[in-house]
Amino acid sequence: MMNSSILISRNLCVGYNDKAVMSDINFSLEAGKILAIVGPSGCGKSTLMRVLGGLDEPLSGECELLGIKVTEAQVRQREMTLRRSGFLFQGSALFSSLTLRENVEMPMREFLGVSNLQIRQLAEYKLALVGLAEAMDKLPSEVSGGMAKRAGIARAMALDPEIIFLDEPSAGLDPISSARLDELILKVRESFGTTIVLVSHEVPSILRTADFCVYLDSDTGTMGAYAPPKDFLQPGSHPKASAFFSQIKIS
Amino acid sequence: MSHDPNSRSSALAEILSDGTTRVTISGNWSIESAVPNLIFKGDKVCLVPDNLGDFDSSLPAWLFQNFKNVRQIDISRLPPRLQSLYNLAEKSTIWESPTSPPGFIERFGVWGIESFSSWQRAMDHIGQTAVGLFRTLIGRGRVNWNDFALQLQTSGVDALPIVMLLGFLTGLIMAYVGLIQLRQVGATVYVANLVALAMTREMGALMTGIIACGRTSTSFASQLGSMNVSQESDALRALGISPVEYLAVPRILAVTLMVPLLSLFATFVGVFGGMIVACAGDLSIEQYLTQAIRAITFKSFLVGFIKSFAFAFIAAWAGCYRGYVAQRSALGVGNAATSAAVLGITLIVIADAIFAVIFNLYNF
Ligand SMILES: Nc1ncnc2c1ncn2[C@@H]1O[C@H](COP(=O)(O)OP(=O)(O)O)[C@@H](O)[C@H]1O
Ligand SMILES: [Mg+2]
Repeated sequence: MMNSSILISRNLCVGYNDKAVMSDINFSLEAGKILAIVGPSGCGKSTLMRVLGGLDEPLSGECELLGIKVTEAQVRQREMTLRRSGFLFQGSALFSSLTLRENVEMPMREFLGVSNLQIRQLAEYKLALVGLAEAMDKLPSEVSGGMAKRAGIARAMALDPEIIFLDEPSAGLDPISSARLDELILKVRESFGTTIVLVSHEVPSILRTADFCVYLDSDTGTMGAYAPPKDFLQPGSHPKASAFFSQIKIS
Repeated sequence: MSHDPNSRSSALAEILSDGTTRVTISGNWSIESAVPNLIFKGDKVCLVPDNLGDFDSSLPAWLFQNFKNVRQIDISRLPPRLQSLYNLAEKSTIWESPTSPPGFIERFGVWGIESFSSWQRAMDHIGQTAVGLFRTLIGRGRVNWNDFALQLQTSGVDALPIVMLLGFLTGLIMAYVGLIQLRQVGATVYVANLVALAMTREMGALMTGIIACGRTSTSFASQLGSMNVSQESDALRALGISPVEYLAVPRILAVTLMVPLLSLFATFVGVFGGMIVACAGDLSIEQYLTQAIRAITFKSFLVGFIKSFAFAFIAAWAGCYRGYVAQRSALGVGNAATSAAVLGITLIVIADAIFAVIFNLYNF
């Protein structure tokens, strides 16, 4: 790859049925960085994330993922790119009739030509990373929301993706689990060089993990700011974003 | 470090003089290619890299699997990146407090309790349905009347074509089979009695009941089952609304209202179907109709009506019950639909047998 930017958004406009939810989104993210997307509920974070991850088409503008313009790419190339990225959905989206382990094994079975034993070994390791070593054989309906979220993270990491999208990974986690998750995110980036894009509402966690932060402004329907999260702590630089940051910090 | 980018992953275990097992790891490790099988003994292990090339999560996963039960493991000579990947995996603890898996006796007990409690839940659901119906009849029920109207349409009116078709064919088949026998004794005129009586007393209600199981029970089970999955029934309960009363009662009411009507249609077209076969050669239309009308007494008509009423209730209840107890998964919803149809048809046939005995006893 010539460009070391792994995710580029140019004049991106996202929404549903030709109705824009967020527009004018411009940023580029280098490989191995952690990007947090923040903004009030319903401002379009999940919508933007789906477009960035190549799952939905943007209304206008273009998005480049892993060096490929996903929406313009051929079906095969697009699928290859999606396979090199992992996605955690806001609602976990685990396959309800498979156990947690089978959920993690599923993409491996589809795409890795290795033995069942090895797949099992990989799946158990990924589940151990998120602290689910002893809940592997439970069904999604038998675990808590936080555990389902973590199993979703393990599934997103199944194929050692180069970039992982996490939609509200810490929602539903207690503070201790949430801190462990931050640690895991940092370690995964450090050890695998994985790029991580996440939606989060927790300011301490964002400050601890993220290198950059996209603030979505729901009043204007545009990207309010793109900067390292520490910049938002100083009032004045990005008034709305820093207000958002400090408000959450108080509550 | 120089290494051959094409060398395969490999591992070698050897026991040193002090009893430590030294495991040498080398080559390139990828989740897309096979990893070595390692057989070793001993609970003191020292891991040593030798010409270790690229690796992804396959190597820490392999280490985790092979050495998680080793008492003492020395990973200090591994590259720092690999060390942290290995340490990241939590061996036994889950982040929440763990629960131990049940033992044999416990599992047997659980099975016993579950099979008992499934009876209990069925009884509980019947009870709740009865209470809900009663409350609704005295005007105090909290019922989703939109569902009621919708089900009048989808479980009633929309089923008319299939009910008429199957009723017609049933009458036709009975007349055909009956004629073959009656011709031998020269009593073909009684084919009208046969078809008319069988349709009113038995087949009209039974066919319609079975169609209701196939169409309506399965649909109810999957509707209510997926409401379990999305926690809609929990949301109702949280509002202090009984999901049985709110969801099952309107469905049961709509079906018990519509299915007896459908059954009337089935009976009518069945008699008509029989007429077509009978009048194709053996009887005149007038003969057939006179015989048929003479055969249908008010009593036999009432028998059919009572049956279809009961069958309708069974079909609707089976669907609502299986949906109510459905597991919270896509598979659970599918199972609910299947078992609703099976339960409905089984109960209908059993009920039919009981009716036969009772009506016979009282000479009805
Ligand atoms: N499938 C959809 N169809 C139409 N509008 C949608 C759909 N999903 C979400 N929206 C709308 O898009 C906006 C952004 O939603 P979302 O991206 O989920 O917000 P966030 O994740 O920031 O809370 C909301 O106003 C929501 O009503
Ligand atoms: Mg969202």
